[in-house]
Amino acid sequence: MMFEHQMIQATGFANHGPVGARDGVDIRLRVPNYRGMRLSLLDGVEVTLDGVKYGYETNLFEYRGQVHDLASLRAATRIHWSMDEPGIVRVPLKGGLAPGVHEVHVVARVRSPYFPPELQPLPVHATRKATLILP
Amino acid sequence: MPAPLKYGVSLYSYTDDFGSVMGLEECFDHVAGTGATGIEILGETHVRGYPAPDAAWVDRWFQLLEQHRLEPTNFCCWVDTTLRLGRPMTVAEGAADLERDLRLAHLLGFKSIRPKFGVISRDLIPDPIWSGASERALELAAKLDIVICPEIHSPTPLNHKVTHEYIDFIERTGTKHFGLLIDTGIFQNRPLRGWVHDVPDPDEQLQAMMRGLAVDPQELLGIAKYIVFIQAKFHHIDDALEDQNIPWETVIPALKQAGYGGYLSSEYEGQRTPWTAIDQVRRQHALMRKVEAEYDASMSVGGRP
Repeated sequence: MMFEHQMIQATGFANHGPVGARDGVDIRLRVPNYRGMRLSLLDGVEVTLDGVKYGYETNLFEYRGQVHDLASLRAATRIHWSMDEPGIVRVPLKGGLAPGVHEVHVVARVRSPYFPPELQPLPVHATRKATLILP
Repeated sequence: MPAPLKYGVSLYSYTDDFGSVMGLEECFDHVAGTGATGIEILGETHVRGYPAPDAAWVDRWFQLLEQHRLEPTNFCCWVDTTLRLGRPMTVAEGAADLERDLRLAHLLGFKSIRPKFGVISRDLIPDPIWSGASERALELAAKLDIVICPEIHSPTPLNHKVTHEYIDFIERTGTKHFGLLIDTGIFQNRPLRGWVHDVPDPDEQLQAMMRGLAVDPQELLGIAKYIVFIQAKFHHIDDALEDQNIPWETVIPALKQAGYGGYLSSEYEGQRTPWTAIDQVRRQHALMRKVEAEYDASMSVGGRP
């Protein structure tokens, strides 16, 4: 699929879980890199929603319908995140967010083996206002 | 008269635009529109279904090449030595990665692959498996007639242990299927305004990289026979067609004096606002062709560079 230019996509920003019993917030991302990459090179994604930070250690990541925690991401050396497919970072947030416009900040932690070891992982930042529609 | 240079474009130039405001077909149109004859791609980025595209994609690839009269030049790939946290990559795994990309590059008609090996130090010394892995892959490279060419990229200058070890490898093995790819970022002699990568607390080495290594292009003459491909890295060319960072007026004459007749493949790495890259690449082609024409004219009237 084709994406918006920036990493955080407007479409896909939504509460997760059954209506009335939301258990998280989903944010759709395009690959935070100039190349597709094996998922093990994505060392988690930190998210800040309206100023509240949710750590990369506890956020989940969904790709092609498969949900990964950090350990699962680090072990995913055979799954290739393709440039034309979205990834979904899922913030575990009981009740989800209220409908409306929210400030979303994302830090994707990308390991690039050809960069010096002490720069790993390299944080890739993005910020936007995004609109959540359904409670 | 020295050999004419060939002009190409790497689709890396259209980073962020590719997959958002342009697809592969638009990329081909913009590349061909510069008058280029060659197209360079990044396997993991531009091949849908990498590393095993379906037959329909491969058919379309060849249709686009024919329609736009472009030839595949260099195929960029990676040997991700730290793919697995907790244990390093083995020589056999590195060789398998190279062979995977050699096969795909061959399927798509490329002449060379540029593997980017993981590094083990601040000054970008590649993981030592590069040597064993490359040696194992040489047989397949020879069979497919593809040259493996790691790149010399800032902050690594030409006169450096990394470059010397690649040359030693070529001499030791006697291979015709391993060479050097030079990224023209090493000739940068004026500072970058802004930095496209998001680096925390840039230290002295990174700041030096932003100011520019300012390698003397005349150093190319001593290593010319090992050079397979040039990635014509640049960052900004202004309305007066002046490159703000890379001294083409000395780089291009040095390449011609060295007898280089291969590709200059545009690698734009600057502002990523949508559609900026298209015109920047066009400016670079106008500039490089102008500098080459001026050099040729100076030679044809018996002048000396």
